[in-house]
Amino acid sequence: MAKAVTQSILVVGGGMSGLSAAIEAAEAGHEVYLVEKNPYLGGRVAQLHKYFPKLCPPYCGLEINFRRLKNNPKVRIFTLAEVTSISGSEGDWDVSIKLNPRYVNEKCTGCNKCSEACTMEIDNPFNYGMDKIKAAYLPHDMAFPMRYVLDPALVKGSEAKKVKEACPYDAIDLDMQAQTVQLKMGAVVWATGWKPYDAAKLDTYGFGTYPNVITNVMMERLAAYNGPTQGKILRPSDGKAPETIAFIQCAGSRDENHLPFCSSICCLASLKQSTYIREQYPDAKITIFFIDIRATDRLEDFYRKVKEDPNIQFFKGKVAKIEQDAATSNLILRVEDTTTMSLHEIPAELVVLATGMQPNTSESPVPTSLAYDDYGFVAAMAARPGLFASGCTRTPAGVSESVQDGTAAALKAIQSLVRR
Amino acid sequence: MSVKVDPNVMKDLEAFGLKDAKKCYHCGNCTAICPLSTPENQFPRKFVRYIQLGQKDKILQSPEPWLCYYCGDCSLKCPRGADPGETMMVTRRYLTSLYDWTGFARKFYTSERFEIMAISIVALLVGIGLLVFNTGKPDWQHASLNSLWPKENIELADLGMAAVLSFLLLSNVFRCFRFVMGDLAYKVPFKYYMDQAKELILHTVTQKRFNECTDRKQWLVHLLIMTGYSSVFLLVVVFLRWFQRDQEIYSIWHPVRLVGYYATFAIMYGTTYAIIGRLRKSKPPYKNSHPTDWMFLILLQLTTMTGIFIHFTRLLDWPFATYFLYVIHMMVAIPMLVLEVPFAKWAHLAYRPVVLYLLKVKAQYQQEQPAEASVAVAA
Repeated sequence: MAKAVTQSILVVGGGMSGLSAAIEAAEAGHEVYLVEKNPYLGGRVAQLHKYFPKLCPPYCGLEINFRRLKNNPKVRIFTLAEVTSISGSEGDWDVSIKLNPRYVNEKCTGCNKCSEACTMEIDNPFNYGMDKIKAAYLPHDMAFPMRYVLDPALVKGSEAKKVKEACPYDAIDLDMQAQTVQLKMGAVVWATGWKPYDAAKLDTYGFGTYPNVITNVMMERLAAYNGPTQGKILRPSDGKAPETIAFIQCAGSRDENHLPFCSSICCLASLKQSTYIREQYPDAKITIFFIDIRATDRLEDFYRKVKEDPNIQFFKGKVAKIEQDAATSNLILRVEDTTTMSLHEIPAELVVLATGMQPNTSESPVPTSLAYDDYGFVAAMAARPGLFASGCTRTPAGVSESVQDGTAAALKAIQSLVRR
Repeated sequence: MSVKVDPNVMKDLEAFGLKDAKKCYHCGNCTAICPLSTPENQFPRKFVRYIQLGQKDKILQSPEPWLCYYCGDCSLKCPRGADPGETMMVTRRYLTSLYDWTGFARKFYTSERFEIMAISIVALLVGIGLLVFNTGKPDWQHASLNSLWPKENIELADLGMAAVLSFLLLSNVFRCFRFVMGDLAYKVPFKYYMDQAKELILHTVTQKRFNECTDRKQWLVHLLIMTGYSSVFLLVVVFLRWFQRDQEIYSIWHPVRLVGYYATFAIMYGTTYAIIGRLRKSKPPYKNSHPTDWMFLILLQLTTMTGIFIHFTRLLDWPFATYFLYVIHMMVAIPMLVLEVPFAKWAHLAYRPVVLYLLKVKAQYQQEQPAEASVAVAA
């Protein structure tokens, strides 16, 4: 085996799996470099309202991890950063990392003065564009690192100077440039996770055209206290509380024309989201359209519990087409009940598409050669000697599996460095 | 009520060209995406189910295969690549063979060799027939078909053929009627059949249901082939004495000539479009081509082309070429008619409007006699 020139470990992706890998490796005594594309850590989990299996708010679990990171001098965090190349071999990797400018330095205290001075607004990426946010912003309430970001459009615009002058701590640096750093690494953990499948590609569902057709990740934001509606589930077209809600499972999943695989989490996500609605609206009627409910192992208890709710109906059949009533913006779902061989048109005030997980590696592959499966997931955790894939980079996974996977990848990375 | 299961249905249908139905995981997307599927008559998933479960009797009694025009939306949107549109097409072939009491249709669909042999034999018989039965006094100065094969004689042969074909086709249509109407077959008073007769004519002529498909081009192409074929069929079988003429050529605006030109254009455009589509597999209905699909298009196009050539050799007054091409023309056209009309693809020309008509009759009957109808359904 190759001799390790350094004991450092690079972790790419600051979501649940990458965070776990970074913390575990650092606590085992290794120097860790954690690279995150967003201006904050926490990934998709930070955008949830509640997460499985205990239905806790994500800040609870993330906060513990952030604290472990903060107190550990062995971890170096790069946000707004991307790995552009990896070369070398086990124990001896040469890595370049591109650091995009944040335009805010470490002097930021999070006082919000820059945001107050700014009038320019951008679509809020944290809320999947469902609301607007100032172009000088904190990505979300508990963002880690707790530091503001300036949108590049603001920096180029005429307001930049005014915003800079509003900062009492001299934390804004409008001349900040993108830079590239070269590092020598002993092992690499790749955990760049997933993105929700683009629902606009499901052309018969009208997502993007019909305002009351949303996706499951948007539902998480609607239910979240720090979301665009402060946690009230309201339909986008008129801000009304929906009385009938439909969940469409396998929206673009298990479908040869879209994602041919099962993401394994969308069934439970919809079951979970149906409980959000039931908590807020005790009289709301919910229909879950499914092909098969995949609630395995312990999760079956949750399924059974939801099934007992008389206001939640399970309907076996894949919705083929959604049409909108122009006057009310209500939706009509055309679907076959496959248990009775009967064709139905079912109205709903709000439709939630349970879209699946598309691996980010399918669009931005690891910048070195390795094997992927047919769908763009890295084919195995041990992708190459000294290079490991974890979490949703490797397979669709829930939060707890991602934690386990990240820990496993950290262990593999450590083994590749110390074994002889 | 017991349900009979025939475990060989899937295997049997594979002989008719079924390929991907096993991939279906029964999500119901196809049935809900189909623009023609209705709560009363829904398809196509139902048939994938019947086939997988071996419910031959249910298939036999179903009108739905004839309500599907194979626009291909179901196959395009199928998440499993199970090609439900093709399943419907294969079911129509299967039904054609089940309606046919002679057993000939089945052979025709399941054996390519049999199909080619049958067509060759009929072609040969026609060729020999024309060489043996003629006046023996051809006009070598001018192209005069009537000098060799007088139109009166051909007309007689035509009518004889039409009688045989009608008998075969109508007997199969009768069987179709029995299966589709089930217990109601003789219960429904004649009055309802009369009331709805206009539906039969309307659907035969316009095929307007086809126009409800998303891809309307298919309806146009199909309508061109159908009207072109039917009008020329009328010309050569019923109006032959005005069609097969030698000396005086009609003026260009004469109805017989106009109809002839329309038919030629319509068939050539339609078949060429379909052949190119099938070669390129340009859309779902053209993706899977059964040998009978090719045979039908090729025979139809050959018939039309030889017909065009005869038209010109006659105008140019070339006797030998005219007589020679006439024999070839008949050797292609007659097998196509004799074999395809009662036993193969052409038969759908009758089954589609008849089934639509029967559904209307049934609906009117059940509407006007709700109590009785529900008893019949329960039985």
